[in-house]
Amino acid sequence: MAEMSWEKPTASTAPKSFGGERIKFVVGGLLLLGAVVYLMISGTIGGAQYFITVDQLVTSPEYAGQTVRISGAVDGDTIVYDGENLIIDFTIANIPLETTDLALTLHNAVNDPSATRLNVHIEGEVKPDLLQHEAQAILTGTLGADGTFNATELLLKCPSRYEESIPEQANAETGV
Amino acid sequence: MLAEIGLIACLFAFVASLYAILASVYGERFAHSEAMVLSGRNAVYLTFVLMTIATGGLQIALMTEQYQLTYVWSVSSPSMPTFFRATALWGSQAGSLLFWSYLITVFAAAATFLNWKSQRRLMPYAIAYMMAVAAFFIGLSLFIENPFERWWVLPSGEVVASAFIPAGAVAPAARQLAESANGLNPLLRHFGMAIHPPMLYLGFIGFVIPFAFAMSALASGDLSSNWIKVSRRWTLVAWLFLSLGLLLGGRWAYDVLGWGGYWGWDPVENAAFLPWLIGTAYLHSVMIQEKRGMLKTWNMFLVIGTFSTVIFATFATRSGLVDSVHSFARSGIGFPMFLFWFLLTIVSVWLILWRRSRGELKDEHRVSGIFSRESLFVLNNFVFVALFVAVFWGSFGAPIVSELFMNTNITLGADYFLRVTPPLFILMYILMGIAPVSAWGISAVGRLGVSLLIPLALTVLSLGLFVLGGMTDAGALLGYGIVLLSGWVVVYETFRGVQARRKARNESPLRALAALATRSPRRYGGYMVHLGIAVIGLGVIGSTLFQQETQRTLAVGQSLQIGGYEMRYDGLLANQVAEDGRLMDIAQIVLLRDGAEVAHLRPRRDFFPESSGMNSMTIAGAHSTLENDFYVLLVNWETVSANSATFKVYINPLINLIWWGSFILIAGTLLAGYPRETLPARVREKLQLAREGART
Repeated sequence: MAEMSWEKPTASTAPKSFGGERIKFVVGGLLLLGAVVYLMISGTIGGAQYFITVDQLVTSPEYAGQTVRISGAVDGDTIVYDGENLIIDFTIANIPLETTDLALTLHNAVNDPSATRLNVHIEGEVKPDLLQHEAQAILTGTLGADGTFNATELLLKCPSRYEESIPEQANAETGV
Repeated sequence: MLAEIGLIACLFAFVASLYAILASVYGERFAHSEAMVLSGRNAVYLTFVLMTIATGGLQIALMTEQYQLTYVWSVSSPSMPTFFRATALWGSQAGSLLFWSYLITVFAAAATFLNWKSQRRLMPYAIAYMMAVAAFFIGLSLFIENPFERWWVLPSGEVVASAFIPAGAVAPAARQLAESANGLNPLLRHFGMAIHPPMLYLGFIGFVIPFAFAMSALASGDLSSNWIKVSRRWTLVAWLFLSLGLLLGGRWAYDVLGWGGYWGWDPVENAAFLPWLIGTAYLHSVMIQEKRGMLKTWNMFLVIGTFSTVIFATFATRSGLVDSVHSFARSGIGFPMFLFWFLLTIVSVWLILWRRSRGELKDEHRVSGIFSRESLFVLNNFVFVALFVAVFWGSFGAPIVSELFMNTNITLGADYFLRVTPPLFILMYILMGIAPVSAWGISAVGRLGVSLLIPLALTVLSLGLFVLGGMTDAGALLGYGIVLLSGWVVVYETFRGVQARRKARNESPLRALAALATRSPRRYGGYMVHLGIAVIGLGVIGSTLFQQETQRTLAVGQSLQIGGYEMRYDGLLANQVAEDGRLMDIAQIVLLRDGAEVAHLRPRRDFFPESSGMNSMTIAGAHSTLENDFYVLLVNWETVSANSATFKVYINPLINLIWWGSFILIAGTLLAGYPRETLPARVREKLQLAREGART
């Protein structure tokens, strides 16, 4: 839409004597537009990553070997970090993609023994400061044949109680 | 007390902003009452004063540790130093929204004060639009994300947050509140974080002024170059702050996030980059409208598109629409913000199309000659809009479309951006090299080639230096060459200007340069910005293509070699206590080059014992030279003996050019926006006519 608005006036107001110029502009513009569209389409096909849940990844065989993004709740007890070789291993529990109270969802997922779990393996990464119990991990990588998720990228979110909770201590003491 | 004052000031500011809209529009259009229009103007000032009180109230509450305010309780704690107490104003959603609304009223008051006389005809509608935006954001603070909520203990013993005192409730004990207070997110306790958000906000919000003037021109029918003149300068102001915000954000990421990079194509980073792209397109195409009376409709779309993008980006960032390290927590402001963005965009587009259909946005010339400056500007706009579309699609388009229509959730990673944007950036740099030497109207290809000869020769010479320095990668050399050419062109053009003045008036070079800069600040300011962008480009190519990294565990006294440096580990200082209560483990590193000590580095890990959630951060040690940065992270160590520690080391070539280029860019923007420009005779005439028109 945006490209049209400057093409139009030049095209419609150019008199006949400029017909040759006009064709050059139109052809040049179309070529450029085509190049950009091609770039975007090929970039999209090459860079697209399905964002799925742990459940979907584990149950659908079509995702095996494909680069996907998954999201899960980090179980803090399972974090093993080899600081010398920079290898991180931990387990995440399945959480839905959409949630209204992220902190609660993460807490419930980690403490739900029936939630699907997935072992995650990352090499060459320094253990991020945010990799903690009940953090949300958003991982990019592939599911290996051994059922371990080999991640190449790790994004973490800690919905710390900043916004949602109440001053617990105050609550407890006044409750007495 | 402070909470009541803030709340009441906020409420009155909301009412005053609504009054300003009504009085301005009704007084101008229907009642034709100067008194009413003036009272609308005064309401703008009143809104500003009231919001100063409201924001000041929250700031004082933060400084004086009024932990009964939930906002103060959630972003500060007794052990925090004063400086971060002050910056906690924008540490979380509610406070930063209030601050954001406040900045809108600051801009609105400043624009009203500075432009009232010169733009009398545009002002009433401009006020209406500025105040509509202000009212919306103040309303969000009042009704959804209230920063003045306080903790109350109900008779039942339950603790609730409420702006008003619930029946029978009492305030919780001060000591308990102070003890349980959260403290600011440690990652935000950095000098860069203290300035980055306000700069970004100023950049975002600054675009409200050009938007309001554009809308006012459409609404009032005064479509002469008046609105272009005002909006260009305000766009420059906003653009400067936005550029600063982006650069500071990059610097902060580089210093604090510990991944050796400064830009990750994260959706929220992109959200800030999008208005920059479209605003840059506008700053260029506005020149064609001023000089040639062309692209009028297009410029309207750009200026309104910029602000529409700002609101969309704010919505995307603050509503939890995208997953990103930057996102605010999900909150109830998503839907109202989306609705506001949608209405604003629909109304703007409708107004443009309406004026256009009445033939009021007709161009006075047409583009002629493929290598004329007009065509190159059009091409420039094409590049920026293409970048905009590509980045928008990658960050928001693909995820939203896939979720709405394909029932899947597709995101595009950095791969997409690294594939799609470089060709467009290359085209941008090529244009930067050619356009400054092209002429308005029809320009001959031959003449263009001749004026590029010397810059081309300089480019080849500088590439020779790169080759001598060991650079053999042909692709990289081509990239460097294109960027260098764009820089040499503006340097040589400035040099030619200086030479001409020296010949004509026998001035000293410095004097001639100063005279040029004051005579045509826009031209030479623009050249300087180009130079800054070229220098940044060199830094981006160097640090992206030739970054080296390694990781190694070193015993005390042991060394590692990388990129011509030798790094020796001399031991660890564990559990150092800082002023704000953080514990620091600091590695002591000696950096050597050719056997000589060049620096002592102290990469460290900070731990915040009192914070829940994010409670530690990794601070890199860096040694910066023009050639590269030696950047080292302490990633692991033995806490007890501290005999050995593991480090991750990056060599980032040319990265400092990014920061140096940004200084050139800032200086250039200041020069270009310096308010003493000589307008072209055409514009002066029109201005004069408009003023007379306003008087009669």
